[in-house]
Amino acid sequence: MSPLPTAIAEAYGFLRGRILKSSEQREWLSVSVMGYDRPGIVAAVAKVLFDNSCNIEALSQTVLMGQFAMIVVVAPLAGSSAGTLQAGLETLAAQMKLAIHMRTLNPTEHQAFDVGNAEPFVITVRGEDRPGLVLAITTILAEQGVNITCLGAEVVPVDQRLDYIQIYEVDIPNDMDFSRIQKALREKGAAIGVTVDMQHRNIFRAINQI
Amino acid sequence: MLSSEEIIRTIEMLKNENLDVRTVTLGISLRDCVSSKAEELCSKIRAKIKRVAGEMVAVCDRISDKYGIPIVNKRLAVTPIAAVAEGLDRGEYITVARTLDQVAGEVGVNFIGGYSALVQKGFTTGDRNLIATLPAVLSSTAHICASVNVASTQAGINMDAVSLMGQAIKEISIATAEQDGFGCAKLVVFANMPEDNPFMAGAYLGYGEPEAVINVGVSGPGVVKRELERALQSGTKLTLGDLSEIIKKTSFRVTRVGELIAREVAELLGVSFGIVDLSLAPTPTVGDSVGEIIQCLGLTAIGVPGSTAALALLNDAVKKGGAFASSSVGGLSGAFIPVSEDLNLSEAVANGSLSLEKLEAMTAVCSVGLDMIAIPGDVDAGTIAAIIADEMAIGVFNHKTTAVRLIPVPGKGVGDKAVFGGLFGEAHIVEVRNVACSHAFVGFGGRIPAPITSIRN
Repeated sequence: MSPLPTAIAEAYGFLRGRILKSSEQREWLSVSVMGYDRPGIVAAVAKVLFDNSCNIEALSQTVLMGQFAMIVVVAPLAGSSAGTLQAGLETLAAQMKLAIHMRTLNPTEHQAFDVGNAEPFVITVRGEDRPGLVLAITTILAEQGVNITCLGAEVVPVDQRLDYIQIYEVDIPNDMDFSRIQKALREKGAAIGVTVDMQHRNIFRAINQI
Repeated sequence: MLSSEEIIRTIEMLKNENLDVRTVTLGISLRDCVSSKAEELCSKIRAKIKRVAGEMVAVCDRISDKYGIPIVNKRLAVTPIAAVAEGLDRGEYITVARTLDQVAGEVGVNFIGGYSALVQKGFTTGDRNLIATLPAVLSSTAHICASVNVASTQAGINMDAVSLMGQAIKEISIATAEQDGFGCAKLVVFANMPEDNPFMAGAYLGYGEPEAVINVGVSGPGVVKRELERALQSGTKLTLGDLSEIIKKTSFRVTRVGELIAREVAELLGVSFGIVDLSLAPTPTVGDSVGEIIQCLGLTAIGVPGSTAALALLNDAVKKGGAFASSSVGGLSGAFIPVSEDLNLSEAVANGSLSLEKLEAMTAVCSVGLDMIAIPGDVDAGTIAAIIADEMAIGVFNHKTTAVRLIPVPGKGVGDKAVFGGLFGEAHIVEVRNVACSHAFVGFGGRIPAPITSIRN
């Protein structure tokens, strides 16, 4: 499983300052790219963006079971044309057999969802893989109004056995009783035969990081 | 950046390796409660403890939930009662003890330490009163823990106090005979007693400590043992240096957990954060034993040749990892070898691998001393005093804390078993050789002078 982009989330405060400042000036674009992973995809996308006078403001990329996925937020500079960029990306998509989608972001979409004052928690779900596990957990989070900031799921070796593990990073608003969510998650986990734990993120940092 | 491996590793430590916080101990100064009237003193003590510690258990439970880390024990430590009750009559000390016992129960902690006196250089009237009331107090209260510091590197060994403690231990044992002398499990005799130790039975709040302070004891040996097993099972060729490195890294992790929890509890209670005690404190649970770590290091049982060296390696690695993790390390900070509280040690006594003399040797390189050792009920007070003197000498002359918690078990001898229950476990009775051979030495009394190495200025 690839590293969870916590640092990216942490850089958010810094980025938001830049985004807000820049967003007063002009609209930005988001470009999402998917396809079979191989060398050269990022370079090819970057070339199209550069040739169309776009500056990359933020980028996140991952590979999941051979599938490449990337989202890029770009600021079009003076002289850039959305139509020409769109055409360039479509040509690239056809050449490299990629799914590329471009979307204009209005200034309000530059900001991450604001949960207000919140504490970061990590939810881990462990047990035998079966359909409906993500649904069961996320339904509870959605009902409680808890925002997921990062989510990953994979089969991993733990000692001598294989475990299916989901790891959610979530923000729990300070005015919300975390023990109520903990209880709801544990009960749901028990009902569907998986172990669910929810712990403050700092415990993972304390144990693992200097 | 958190990786999924880090998250999974952490969950493993919590779920399967007994990673926890052994004790959160709230130290409370009772110096402002002093009164020459017992009733007034007790009333002030009650009010202060309720005010400072009233929310402690609830706060600990909440923090425990938040981080998913069990906090096994919540405890209180107070200013030595010998000083707090100095103006009272001897009988009134028992009244003070009962007040402490009652209020400890009301705030929901399992023990309150500080029924203590520091007599390394001599006695005050209050010190004598406290020592004289130990049998009555420890046989009639549930939560009180007592400790007496009879020696220090600066003062030497107060042999009159050592004799008195030998007698006190015998009397407490007889007073709690129906519980196999369990009262003695709540009394520790110290050399170089730390002022900020969070572990019972020796916790008290020292005179140099703040008004109220949170001290914390980190997780036990289970986590270290599991890490060593994991490394050994990997098939990689490992040296003792490599194993030391693994222990060091594990100690770092458990210390970080302890400090995180302690700081947050202290903040929520509005009191100071004091120290993290790095001691590996075993429990009578399989997989949570210092003895099992020693076995991981290649010895068939704790007590066989090589045990002292293995324990030295363990103790040193724990300190190095812990000291890097926290700049507020204190208390006892070493591996404990409490015989009845460590299932593996108890078994080593039963099968003859572990003797009293080997235990004494091992205390030279670890914390804390001859701890939770059940001895035959017919060992006399003079011999117990001489055993205490030996252990105090190891502490005084090596500039370290040592302690003695011996439990003479009335009516039982070698081959029998004492059963204390819960965290205190059960213990096969250890043979004491050469009984009644030391009376003349102990009978000289006076003070064994401080060692030359104490003059360092």
